[in-house]
Amino acid sequence: MTNHWSDLQNTDCALIMGGNPAENHPISFRWLTKAQEKGGKIVSVDPRFTRTSSKADVYAQLRSGTDIAFMGGMIKYAIDNELYHKDYVVNYTNAPFILKEDYKFNDGLFSGYDEATRKYDRTTWAFETNEDGTPKQDKTLKHPRSVFQLMKQHYNRYDVDTVISVTGTPKNDYLKVCETFCATGQVGKSGTIMYAMGTTQHTVGSQNVRAFGMIQLLLGNIGLPGGGINAMRGESNVQGSTDFALLHHLLPGYVGTPTAKPQHATLADYNANETPAAGYWSNKPKFLVSMLKAWYGDNATKANDFAYDYLPKGNKNYSHINLFKAMYEGKIEGTFLFGTNPVVGGPNAGKEKEALSNLKWLVAVDLWETESAAFWQKEAGGNPAEINTEVFLLPAASSYEKDGSVSNSSRWMQYRWKAIEPKGDSLADLEIIHVLVQKLKELYKNENTAAARPFNALSWNFGEGHHPDIDLVCKEINGYDLKTGKLLPTFGALMDDGTTSSGNWIYTGFYPEEGKNRAKNRDNVDTGGGNYLNWAFAWPANRRILYNRASADLNGKPWSKEKAVIWWDAAQAKWVGNDVPDFVPIKAPSDPGGNNPFIMLKDGVGGLFAPLNEGPFPEHYEPFESPASNVFSSQELNPAVEIHEGDFNLKGDASKYPIVATTYRVTEHWQSGSMTRNQEWLSELVGHMFIELSEELAKEKGIKNKDKVIVSTARGEITAYAMVTKRFKPFIIKGEKVHHIGMPWHFGYKGYATGDTANHLTPHIGDANTTIPEYKAFLCNVRRAD
Amino acid sequence: MSKQQKPELQVRRFSKGFVWAHAINAISFLALYITALPMYTEWFDWLYVVLGGPEMARLLHRIFAVTFILPTFIWLIFDPKGFKLWLKELITWKKRDIQFFAEFTKELFGFKSKHVKQTFFNAGEKINSILQILTAIIILGSGFPMWFPDLFPSAVVQWAYLFHNIGFGLAAAVVVGHIYLSVIHKNSRPGFTGVVTGKVPARWAKEHYAEWYEEEVKKGNFPDLDDPKQNKKKGA
Amino acid sequence: MAAEYVKYVDVTKCDGCRACMVACKNWNDLPAEPQDFLGTMQSHANVSADTWNVLTFVEHENSKGGLDYLFRHSSCYHCSDAACEKVCPENAISYTEFGTVVIDQDTCVGCGYCVQNCPFDVISLKEYKDKNGKEYRKAHKCTMCTDRLEEGLQPACVTTCHTGAMEFGGKDAMIEKAEERVKEIKDRYPNAMVYNPEGVGGTHTIYVLAERPSVYGMPENPKVPTSAVLWKDYAQPIGKMMIGATTMAVVGAFISNKLFNKEGNGTHEDGGESDE
Repeated sequence: MTNHWSDLQNTDCALIMGGNPAENHPISFRWLTKAQEKGGKIVSVDPRFTRTSSKADVYAQLRSGTDIAFMGGMIKYAIDNELYHKDYVVNYTNAPFILKEDYKFNDGLFSGYDEATRKYDRTTWAFETNEDGTPKQDKTLKHPRSVFQLMKQHYNRYDVDTVISVTGTPKNDYLKVCETFCATGQVGKSGTIMYAMGTTQHTVGSQNVRAFGMIQLLLGNIGLPGGGINAMRGESNVQGSTDFALLHHLLPGYVGTPTAKPQHATLADYNANETPAAGYWSNKPKFLVSMLKAWYGDNATKANDFAYDYLPKGNKNYSHINLFKAMYEGKIEGTFLFGTNPVVGGPNAGKEKEALSNLKWLVAVDLWETESAAFWQKEAGGNPAEINTEVFLLPAASSYEKDGSVSNSSRWMQYRWKAIEPKGDSLADLEIIHVLVQKLKELYKNENTAAARPFNALSWNFGEGHHPDIDLVCKEINGYDLKTGKLLPTFGALMDDGTTSSGNWIYTGFYPEEGKNRAKNRDNVDTGGGNYLNWAFAWPANRRILYNRASADLNGKPWSKEKAVIWWDAAQAKWVGNDVPDFVPIKAPSDPGGNNPFIMLKDGVGGLFAPLNEGPFPEHYEPFESPASNVFSSQELNPAVEIHEGDFNLKGDASKYPIVATTYRVTEHWQSGSMTRNQEWLSELVGHMFIELSEELAKEKGIKNKDKVIVSTARGEITAYAMVTKRFKPFIIKGEKVHHIGMPWHFGYKGYATGDTANHLTPHIGDANTTIPEYKAFLCNVRRAD
Repeated sequence: MSKQQKPELQVRRFSKGFVWAHAINAISFLALYITALPMYTEWFDWLYVVLGGPEMARLLHRIFAVTFILPTFIWLIFDPKGFKLWLKELITWKKRDIQFFAEFTKELFGFKSKHVKQTFFNAGEKINSILQILTAIIILGSGFPMWFPDLFPSAVVQWAYLFHNIGFGLAAAVVVGHIYLSVIHKNSRPGFTGVVTGKVPARWAKEHYAEWYEEEVKKGNFPDLDDPKQNKKKGA
Repeated sequence: MAAEYVKYVDVTKCDGCRACMVACKNWNDLPAEPQDFLGTMQSHANVSADTWNVLTFVEHENSKGGLDYLFRHSSCYHCSDAACEKVCPENAISYTEFGTVVIDQDTCVGCGYCVQNCPFDVISLKEYKDKNGKEYRKAHKCTMCTDRLEEGLQPACVTTCHTGAMEFGGKDAMIEKAEERVKEIKDRYPNAMVYNPEGVGGTHTIYVLAERPSVYGMPENPKVPTSAVLWKDYAQPIGKMMIGATTMAVVGAFISNKLFNKEGNGTHEDGGESDE
């Protein structure tokens, strides 16, 4: 989130798209309800009428997988009706930048595409520059090759009628959404976009989010209270886990993982190639070296590149789908599953279960024996005698049985204290890792091999014995001034010469001095604007609203009194307000760069034009499996996605599978259900696997409410109960009726609430940038079970 | 006083079937009454202790509800004639029945009264029977939905509570009178012995149920008490 | 006498999260009751002895032709004139100082009169087995967490409600709040109303409803059943009087008989063996 949960109360309009916070992030409605009481509007855009839709002032239906068409139309609507915030767009975005002449877009493809590798060469996606290297600009936005004009041209094709023929949205509803949300382009108003996996779990997931970013920049909603782009995290600590490098391509603090290529051969090579010339990321070497100092301690020296060589470097894609494909092909020997249950949660889960049986060993760490830990059992549908995988189940402690922190969607790191002792033999994850590392270090102690050296060099000083001192872990994350041994007060103090350490630079400052762990702050007095600065610690630097410099104009004055966050106080010669400035605190608006609010970016302004793997502007492509052909171009599928061929990912055709399907979660169950389906009070609330379908589809298929039905895709079949509901309506796509169904993906055969696994149906294809699987739009067919 | 020195001449008034039926009915009624009292009014809460708790009281109440219904069938099966006579008499009302009440009131409070000629059942007994039948219908008809509420709409069950309650009040009042007259009031006492043994003193029967008695005399079933010979003979 | 409190339920702020259901089970330590699939998101058809509150889900096509998805926290209303309290033969049901209506489990004999007479159908019997295997029953319903109220806490459902759909406060203040809220939402919900039915003397759960009560499956004009009023306010007191009066008449007759018999000595009712 650029903003945070309690800031939602400040919004004039919340566009909720690709998310269902009333059901999946209920606490958000505490704040949205407050916003509504103050006259704020809620707009819900969703394939189905959800509980969020029921609370919304405006609801519009869209077909799963057509978000870019929907948003592209809104961008056009904002431009055509001049609803965008002009001063903001001209000064705080790259709209006036001039693109090079060889930038082209034609029939769904941007210039530089290589069909063989399904990759783009991005050299043509660049700005014309002045002698000093800064981009050429036309502040009138009239230049035909200005970002603004090219954007306008790009989305000119997204007229309302074309858009709704793709999205299936009733025209009035579509216009109502555009009108309501674009009204936040007025000065004194702000609008927020809230999204979740309904946005990201598509082959165009990243571009869906980009489209949100563009409309928010156009409307001047970034950096404002009640504004921003707000990803609602599906778990209490997903934010924390990505901050701490859960993703394969990132090191802690979003520093890119070095790979096995010449540009990353040495630390110097990496720094030279990965460090931008301007913007805050120009400090990247400091972050990386400080991290290496935290990891390898005294063994990281200037002479040995701070042990940069010990960072594992590969050249493959190590994301979920690719890992399981490798496992399926027998290329992986063993796996640790820490609180993850791919046999229920993974895409094309039947294949993922098969993949597990190709392992020599599997270690499952969880609160209960999950479907994945028990994949070999007869109940899972296999023959245990034929499976040679050795499975170890390590009982893990629940969140109430251990100390530690979680970082929520608001980027708040909140410390939690142990409430009860762990049951039985279960251990906290931290303890399990600690013991594992101790054991590995012991085993490698007397070896001097390539595998042993990183282990021997690893600095692991969290106390002796089996119980690590978590306070030492916290301090290592914050980092030290290694010359004085003192904790660092801010990441501004980090150095690239080995004199500082920090396990994760974005959290530096959360533990600024002995005895002052700010994640433990619990002062619930509003310090102004609903920011609660003394509650927990928000990275970076306890900032609550990112890019808040953009809430003030070129003179450092808030655009409006209603939406003030920080402002330039000339008398004190610094930025003041009710949030920590996301800016150099003493840099005046008149100083060089004083009007560049997007400090993380090289150009200091928001990117309306911003390259991702499939292009610099979001373009609509149909999902991997789609009931209709693409009206915008002859490119059906995102041209940059990786396609897995063969039986690992069978593709269904609309002639055989004409119904659009999507998956989602219910309030009562969490992810693969391994925690909640083992909880009786939650299992009684949602105790059965079901699919939701419209009355129209039910009638066509002869299905009555509560019937058992079979849902089939090219990948498999599942049985579920039918929930026939008015909340589902068929779409009219290009004049044809298209049906859709939806289903929760929580179920498996373990626990109190059991049922078939929705992910037996989902495809093994992912987004072109993140490879997040396309769980949210695929094709199926439905029939009665009897 | 008019105490008889010699064994009284006895005549059969009630069949064995009736005697049994009446006894079971009476005991059941009493048991139902006692098991219901603590539910009905808190004055009798102490009865729960005697009865083994509220649940036991309710269980007993249900058991006696069944035994309360049984006698009707016993009587019907073992003494169909008596049963028919009873029903017939209940619907036969003549002038003498009205006269009966005036005299009855006097007798009840111990004033001088004369006997109005009555058939097998006197008007008082007939009223008693009718009231008993009515209250029984009310109580049984309402008790059934109370026992098996799942078989009935809730409105029926709700009204059943009221009618059971009303039936209880009525039945209790009627039975109190009935028992008083048959057990305690000295002039009716032979009636009580009669309902237990089936036999009553002939003289008493003749006085109270003259018409019936005379009819039986005519049939030759009973001795004619006005015939001194008979009197002597029997009395000897 | 403490002030009278009510639970305020603004269903228009409810997002159907059902935390109130889990909080209730948690605080009151109630077991789960797995249900068959009901064909909707609603988990239980109605409240029961082990499920004291149920979130109801209604799909309703409103007067504007749009779809409303209506949620309601349903549990005991805690009537001011509670039929259950009236009909309980064991006086096991009583009003507390807070205005809540509670069942004393020690006194309850499981007769079910309260179950049958509740105009809202919120009381249920639960079957138990004692250690001898003997079955017995007890009536259960929401207590409004009276045990929490006694400790100065609020009901568990209210405490857990995150949208502010539920509040617990002084009766007058809550009624006023409800009336204000109805005014606010009239534009969006023209049929919005405060539900605090007169027929049961008002309730201690006061609703702000978006639609007519019947849309939510609630009685439009609930009242204490007429049969219960006749029974408890007339039949039973009169019956008690009648038993008293008959008894008095018998006693009077007995005494009078003794008196007048001595004086008169004129009757020859001589059949009885009176002195035996």
